[in-house]
Amino acid sequence: MRPVTLKMVLKACGALLLVLLVVVGIALKLGAVPISLSDLALHVGRGALGRSDQLPSEYRLIVLNLRVPRILLGILVGAALSVAGAGFQALLRNPLADPYVLGVSSGAALGAITWLIASPHVLLMPALVPLFTPLAAFLGAAATVAAVYFLGRRSGQLDSGTLLLAGIVTASFLSAVIMFLMTTLPSRDLRGMAFWLMGDLSTPQVASVLWVFVAGLVVATGAMYTTASDLNLLLTGEREAMHLGVDVTRVKVVVYVAASLLTGLAVSASGAIGYVGLLVPHTMRLLFGSDYRLLIPTSALGGAIAIVLADTLARTIVAPTELQVGAMTAMAGAPMFIYLLRRRLG
Amino acid sequence: MGQRSDKLHSRDPRVRGLFIALALAFLLALALPARGREQGTAIKPEPSSSALLEVTDETGRRVKVPQPVRRIVSLAPSLTETLYALGVQDRLVGVTDSCDYPPEARRKPRVGGPMNPSLEQVIALKPDLVVMAKTANRLETVEALERLSVAVYGTDSHSVEDVLISTEQLAGLIGVQEEGAALVAGLRARLDQLQRALGDRAPRRVLFVVWLDPLISAGPRSFVGDALRWAGAQTVIGTKQDWPHVSLEEVVRLQPEYLVFASSHPEQASHDFQALRQKPGWRILEAVRKRRIALISDAVNRPAPRLIDAIEELARQLHPDAFPDKPGPKGKARPPHGIEAVGQVQEACACGR
Repeated sequence: MRPVTLKMVLKACGALLLVLLVVVGIALKLGAVPISLSDLALHVGRGALGRSDQLPSEYRLIVLNLRVPRILLGILVGAALSVAGAGFQALLRNPLADPYVLGVSSGAALGAITWLIASPHVLLMPALVPLFTPLAAFLGAAATVAAVYFLGRRSGQLDSGTLLLAGIVTASFLSAVIMFLMTTLPSRDLRGMAFWLMGDLSTPQVASVLWVFVAGLVVATGAMYTTASDLNLLLTGEREAMHLGVDVTRVKVVVYVAASLLTGLAVSASGAIGYVGLLVPHTMRLLFGSDYRLLIPTSALGGAIAIVLADTLARTIVAPTELQVGAMTAMAGAPMFIYLLRRRLG
Repeated sequence: MGQRSDKLHSRDPRVRGLFIALALAFLLALALPARGREQGTAIKPEPSSSALLEVTDETGRRVKVPQPVRRIVSLAPSLTETLYALGVQDRLVGVTDSCDYPPEARRKPRVGGPMNPSLEQVIALKPDLVVMAKTANRLETVEALERLSVAVYGTDSHSVEDVLISTEQLAGLIGVQEEGAALVAGLRARLDQLQRALGDRAPRRVLFVVWLDPLISAGPRSFVGDALRWAGAQTVIGTKQDWPHVSLEEVVRLQPEYLVFASSHPEQASHDFQALRQKPGWRILEAVRKRRIALISDAVNRPAPRLIDAIEELARQLHPDAFPDKPGPKGKARPPHGIEAVGQVQEACACGR
């Protein structure tokens, strides 16, 4: 393994940022309503200068209030899920780990739904209710990771196959609980929830929720980054890492909390978008190698690119009707999962 | 060996600090444009005319509707029908993919499905008013449009009476009170006439089939349950849920007198019924053995003025003796098909279309 230098990280991130900019440009341009490139430049330019009030109102609303926030949310969700995936892959020492495959997304969804059901009975300012959803989703995610971690052990050792099965079984169990809650409770907007469960970015988020997301993403990704070099060692084996002076317990706790938080944030904002945490880190490993000091920042950017691209497709291929972005990522991610699984077995 | 050099390298606090700073800077850079968005929403577009009508819609939300309403987007097939019935189709600038009645509605610009419309398409149509139905749309769509300063009026009908009131309120909102009052008065007259015709005949015990596989029926508290009551029928399913999944066992136990199917394609429905007769569970149903089924237009599934047509249609099929050879009101109702044999169904459908 070549030593990772700052220059390498900057180069890789710079290249990915360029790709992201191009993808964001495409995402701004394409949509159910056609907007010409010159119009787009005009709108984005004036919007950036804070002079958006001079523009015709419907285009301003479409570009600045619909497409821009949706792209931003896509960037945040993609980055969170990919970094969470990379984190789980190191924590569980399993290249097939992904928040969705392991049932962590379902756990987060169950946490969020439980909060949505309980929140009307809690004395709280209505404006604050959505801010607690990510917290509930985080708790659901953390509880699920813990459960899968212990279910996935055989005679005290983490067993890769058992872990995956435990994750898949947990996911289907949690989905069943969600189904149960949704059919028995006379909740006000079940169809909305069913939609959100599939992974959906179509609902613009309130600004305060976005800010919570940004803060959580920065903190969790930063925390995970401080353990990056320890993660490299941890992947070679816990005992070896310990001998080399890695505080294994601390690293595991940091990654566990950070990855659960990232999953909770992403799920509470956009539902269970699957396979991004698998697809993106593995692509980044192919491109830049498997050193976590490179993998974490490149996965964040790569995840942003993947989700913005997938959502642009979801918005446009059957326009004006919208597909859920979760369907797009599953179509790309599930074959990747099979490929990785077969390569490991073979 | 490689590991060792990695480790030495990363333990250099300066390099590590730089990595973290880089990550933070990137994420902050991502976050910054979000502020621009907040400013964007702060500037509310003032409607061209200053008049705003503030009303409480049927879901309990306060809505400010610019007056006069010139451009309407409908997010539910039932509302599209209502707007056509009110004669304001010229102001209807956008409909959903599911809006198929009247047939002209298909030629209006589409904004996507009721569940997942394209918000940008809705915005591009510059509506003064977006109408939605709680049963057809998602709350998230409403909230999103609200945040973009679009007036959204929500309807929520649980009975035939609700449908009539809703129609009148919508008419008032759009500024066609007289048309609305006339339409609703006509509908009420037809319902009264129907009640007189039915007299005090005992209601037929029916199973209303919303969906066959899985079997979904309508609960007594839904507007369909109420429509059945008006048509001299009573659903055998007594749940609190509006659209309950029903087990076939339960249906066999309850032995409804009639099965009621709603379809826009009667030919298809009678074909489905033939298939049903072959199925083991269904064969033992009294209603299936005696071929007591009622086929009505799928208008019954939409809380719109055409619901009254469907009620009349159903009443004629369930209580043929109450309508001795009398043509339907205004002569527009379909010929009564007293369905005792499927052969007759097809015949009736052929002339009904």
